[in-house]
Amino acid sequence: MRIAVSAKQVPDPAIEPSYKNGCLSRPDEQVLDDTDRYGIELALQIKETMDAEVIVVSMSPEGTQKGIRQALQMGTDRAILISDPELKNSNSLTTAKVMSDLIKKLDINYFICGVESTDGYTGLVPQQIARIINFPCISFIKSAEITEETIIVKRQTAFGYETLAIPEKGVLSVTAGGVEPRYPNFKDIMAARNKDVKILTLKDLGTDVHNSLKYRDIVGVDIRTKGEKIIDDGQGAEIIFNKLKELKAI
Amino acid sequence: MKVLIVGELNENKISTTSLELVNKAKDIATEIFICTVGSKENVDVQVEGLNCTYIKIDENILSTHSIANAIKEVANLNSIEVILVSSTYLGRDIAAFLSVDYDSASVTNVTDINASDTFSVTTAINGGKELYITDIESDIKIVVVRPKSFEPLETIISKISDDKIIDIKKSELDVQIQKINIEEKSGPQLEDSSLVISAGRGLGEASNLNIINELASKLDAAVGATRAIVDAGWVPYSHQVGQTGKTVKPDIYIACGISGATQHQVGMKDSKFIIAINKDEDAPIFQIADLGIVGDVHQVIPKLISLIYNSKEKGNTSSNL
Repeated sequence: MRIAVSAKQVPDPAIEPSYKNGCLSRPDEQVLDDTDRYGIELALQIKETMDAEVIVVSMSPEGTQKGIRQALQMGTDRAILISDPELKNSNSLTTAKVMSDLIKKLDINYFICGVESTDGYTGLVPQQIARIINFPCISFIKSAEITEETIIVKRQTAFGYETLAIPEKGVLSVTAGGVEPRYPNFKDIMAARNKDVKILTLKDLGTDVHNSLKYRDIVGVDIRTKGEKIIDDGQGAEIIFNKLKELKAI
Repeated sequence: MKVLIVGELNENKISTTSLELVNKAKDIATEIFICTVGSKENVDVQVEGLNCTYIKIDENILSTHSIANAIKEVANLNSIEVILVSSTYLGRDIAAFLSVDYDSASVTNVTDINASDTFSVTTAINGGKELYITDIESDIKIVVVRPKSFEPLETIISKISDDKIIDIKKSELDVQIQKINIEEKSGPQLEDSSLVISAGRGLGEASNLNIINELASKLDAAVGATRAIVDAGWVPYSHQVGQTGKTVKPDIYIACGISGATQHQVGMKDSKFIIAINKDEDAPIFQIADLGIVGDVHQVIPKLISLIYNSKEKGNTSSNL
């Protein structure tokens, strides 16, 4: 079995993002998107139970590849990074097309990823890839039970969840909290140093890239006026209580 | 412009969220089509004066590819130029599929649409402090709208007639569903409640959520949560408020032990009155709170509960006199 997992590299989420001409500024050093850790964890659990090769796929400027390394440290086998200046500020559909062209070459059973990235929040790429490569799409997985024969998952719905067995092929997206991502130990970190990271360009894949989304403007919003801030020295509850009464909530 | 809306059901009726899209479509459309997707029989999805169809699915089959195909047939038949979808589980899957089929990059998390000059859509960035405006230049525009961005259309809704029901075709990409679980929701619904009490990491551990639940039941409020505590497994995802969760706009929002990360603010900053309780004086939540209490939730909330309890007791006694 072979599994491709997404490992998006994103700017450190602790730092407020900045934009230049509508384009998110990306530092040289980007980190592994936390939301993809869930997808990687699911892939690794499948690998451990069913035996599979887990290949990290990612698209970003070459940079320091810290995020890719982090994905390898978790226990994935090797990585392929698509890096091309033409892909700057790509929209979700372009990303999905490029990733699909790569995935098609890999002859995989599953492509697994997080639900949506922390920097773009589009949340469309997994499903778009499923449509392009013509795989069943099992999105919003909130838990998984893996045996040697089957992968049974619970999938989030508007009203609860549904339980289903994953077919032989599929694109899976995993919600944050769906599985518990592992922390690599020293041995894993050392082992990751020797793992292969292959870098491909658009030419290697032959993807046709065009962008029908045009940045127009970024405008500021009137931020709500700051209210009062009171240090609680015992009367905090009473202040809230009186306010709730005033607002007719009590 | 001919606009198609992908509608969804709530119980047996077209959802309020879908009617928000219909209301916005009235601004930009010359003709409106609604394809509502659902598994129920006898549904109220015929919106007065509009072209409505019902795509009837089998709830025991995950058939997203087939649903998208059925919607595409309706769109092609009617030369649709704009497709509006709500940012729901089904909505995002469908929008993604159609964006591939029409080779049209879609924009998600949209909070406004303007079709007067170019076709542009607005999304919030940096926790809603700024708005990012994008022109969609593809022939068929696919827009995924955040719930509560527009007021729902108030209109007459009736049963859909049998000739407007489309049964979807089977596909080799269908996945059989073994079991469907409906999560019993006790108390008011998060999206509709006029009072929401949300908990964050500051509660310390999952067992401390009982004070939040108790306060919520005392005030008849819905309980929300930050992504951090949902990720930590304290509460189900259905309670999550924020960018990746639900958008709420209650009259009163009480944020307990929530720092106010961008991701959370997007989902609640439009609440009418925000009360925040947090130990950290510099927590970003205080920048948007109307009333901020710098204090320990473990002290403030139990005290607040007893104040409410006492006042209700008093109220009951006096009414008995």
